[in-house]
Amino acid sequence: MPDVVRSQAWSRAPVALLRLDADGWVLDANATFLGWLGRGADEVVGRVRLADLLSVGGRIYWETHVGPLLRMQRRVDELALELLGAEERLPVLMSARVLDADGDGAPVVEVALSSARDRARYEGELLAARRAAERAAEQVRVLAETTAGLSSAAGVDDVVQVLRRTALRGLGASGVAVWTAEDRGRLVRHGGTEPDGTDPPDPSVEQLGAGPVHRTPAGEVLVALPGRAELQGVWSLRPSQAPGADPWEPDVLAAVGRLAGVALERARLFDQRSSVAYTLQRALLTTPQLRDPRVSVATAYRPAADGLEVGGDWYDVVTLDDEGTLAVVVGDVVGHGLAAATTMAELRSALRAAAEPGAGAARVLDRLDGVVARTGSGLAASLVYAELAPATGTLHYAVAGHLPPLHLPATGEPRYLWDGRSAPLGLTGGRPRPGACVRLRPGDRVLLCTDGLVERRDRALRDSLADLRDRAAGLLAGDAPLDALVDAAAEGNRGPRDDVCALLLTWRGADGAG
Amino acid sequence: MAVLAPDQVLARHAVRISGPTTGHPLVFAHGFGCDQSMWRFVAPAFEDTHRVVVLDHVGAGESDLTAYDPQRHARLDGYADDMVELVEALGLGPVTFVGHSVSAMIGVLAAAGRPDLFERLVLVGPSPRYVDDDGYRGGFAAAEIEELLDTMDANYLGWAQFLAPVIVGRPDRPELGQELANSFCRTDPAIARRFARTTFLSDNRADLQRVRTPALVVQSREDVIAPPEVGRWVHEHLPGSELVVLDTVGHCPNLSAPEELVVAMRRYLDR
Repeated sequence: MPDVVRSQAWSRAPVALLRLDADGWVLDANATFLGWLGRGADEVVGRVRLADLLSVGGRIYWETHVGPLLRMQRRVDELALELLGAEERLPVLMSARVLDADGDGAPVVEVALSSARDRARYEGELLAARRAAERAAEQVRVLAETTAGLSSAAGVDDVVQVLRRTALRGLGASGVAVWTAEDRGRLVRHGGTEPDGTDPPDPSVEQLGAGPVHRTPAGEVLVALPGRAELQGVWSLRPSQAPGADPWEPDVLAAVGRLAGVALERARLFDQRSSVAYTLQRALLTTPQLRDPRVSVATAYRPAADGLEVGGDWYDVVTLDDEGTLAVVVGDVVGHGLAAATTMAELRSALRAAAEPGAGAARVLDRLDGVVARTGSGLAASLVYAELAPATGTLHYAVAGHLPPLHLPATGEPRYLWDGRSAPLGLTGGRPRPGACVRLRPGDRVLLCTDGLVERRDRALRDSLADLRDRAAGLLAGDAPLDALVDAAAEGNRGPRDDVCALLLTWRGADGAG
Repeated sequence: MAVLAPDQVLARHAVRISGPTTGHPLVFAHGFGCDQSMWRFVAPAFEDTHRVVVLDHVGAGESDLTAYDPQRHARLDGYADDMVELVEALGLGPVTFVGHSVSAMIGVLAAAGRPDLFERLVLVGPSPRYVDDDGYRGGFAAAEIEELLDTMDANYLGWAQFLAPVIVGRPDRPELGQELANSFCRTDPAIARRFARTTFLSDNRADLQRVRTPALVVQSREDVIAPPEVGRWVHEHLPGSELVVLDTVGHCPNLSAPEELVVAMRRYLDR
């Protein structure tokens, strides 16, 4: 090819061609490039650096990315930049390589820029799609965290805690407040302070009417918590002031708000039901003051660690006759909450009716089976029942699918009473239950408890029972209160939904001296 | 964040250590947009006299990307905490910290918080505030920083290609040996985008006066990212600092004028 043709090819190539020095100054540029810029060679060659002809973003990018790559790698390929053209910005793709020039050794950068208008449009669509995907992923992440939290949230306080956690940890908010709508729409705030420590102002009606997500002039973001029919509350988040913090997507906030609104509605109902159940259970779990010096009874009850619902553990103490025969029971009904509390109340009444002096422990349980068969209430409940004759120290007992009584003699080794056992209530198939009897000595004690006291998720029941036996002997030897034993069990690894119930019966001898 | 064992901290930052064990420790931290390879023409020059430590910030180079925490790293203080953990993990006593670009301010924050860990600072192309603000000239408007993010986004797809593990021979530059194509300045695109905001939207002007550590401010003669007047501003507001201007153009004198930078650093460190 003749030189002149070659030279024209350089000048009129369909791509912009440049030669730069090591610092980026333009040493030479072809006509295509000058045409894009709408400038003459005398305004460009030796006068500007290529970076100066880029958008500001491109200029920073050049300094922080392109320049270093050219220095170290001596080439870059297909970088997307924007050239400040004569009339508009021109998206270009740049490839460049560094060549050691002949002669004086100063390196030269050869650059080719091709127009990328169509490609930029296409990539713009790809980027929009990627951003949408990232938004969706973010939404899924935050919603998943919130859902996980709400799934174990029962009461209103729990839902508020989940919203606080989602705001502060999940979304990186610098502050959060939650209001719940109480009767007649009155808003009640749960925690949250302004940066200066003062109380945040309650959201106004106008703000609440402005859509699911509303930004206040102070920069806070209010999110409605809608229930099925009415507003359940408001969630207010203060954005992080950190420069690198991701901005929030209103869609994500609104989605969390909808989820939390439904959860709040449910939680309110739950709170109502569980407060009834707690009241009922507290009324049931009372220990009468015994006037009889020959016996004493201590009881302890601990609700489940997560405090979500009333558990099914119960106990009762009744004096049966003028002889002072004392009936004690510890039981565990199936289920939790209001239903469990109700069953407990029914069983307690049935037991008080069934327990008559002289009937015998096994017969009392047979009668309870009858009640269960007639009413269906209390099916599969377990319990341990015992009657103590204070004049003799004779203890009749029967166990329906429950932990055995633990006999703690005044002297000697403690042991479990494994006799008199049968199935839980309603499950004997009509067969009469066995009972058993043990003669206590003055000062002997008997511990009845529910499985919350022994169950450890990481141990076999047999080992747990042995543990309890040793701990009970140690703790109670010093007349330590029953509470200490129960609290020690509570510190162990019991399940979060297990409540604990224990009853300690002491026979002090016929004369009450033991 | 859980407390990490020293070797876990060093692994998090892909730390490489060279030079005599008795040498005074010199810790090189790279700026925004690149990784530890930025120091390849400078750090080796100190390997005969100093214990030389190079590192990648979380999100760059071969750092542990899973250690990136959007909340911790949304502020430069988070990166400064990383550096404090790193210097403690090194167990070499107080170090001289060489920070380029945004790492200069990361070093300032780290030294202000834990002066016991930092003997001296070398700040290459520092800027405490890139955005113009009420009488202060940082060089950029906030909207222009958003433009940078657009440019980074436009090259997002390109970066994926940068990560392609193609082994190439480089007969023209044998000193580079067999290296991955585009193996320099690898950054995770999603993290880089946040790092850009953290870098360019931070304001650390007030932090300078908290520093008691002696510092050398190294400024390029021309630099659009950190202009000479910003370098002077840093020097004037940093108690006990010295200013040296290198006769080079651009934001990366560690690449454009490595020999001059080494000389200036030696002159400062050897005193």
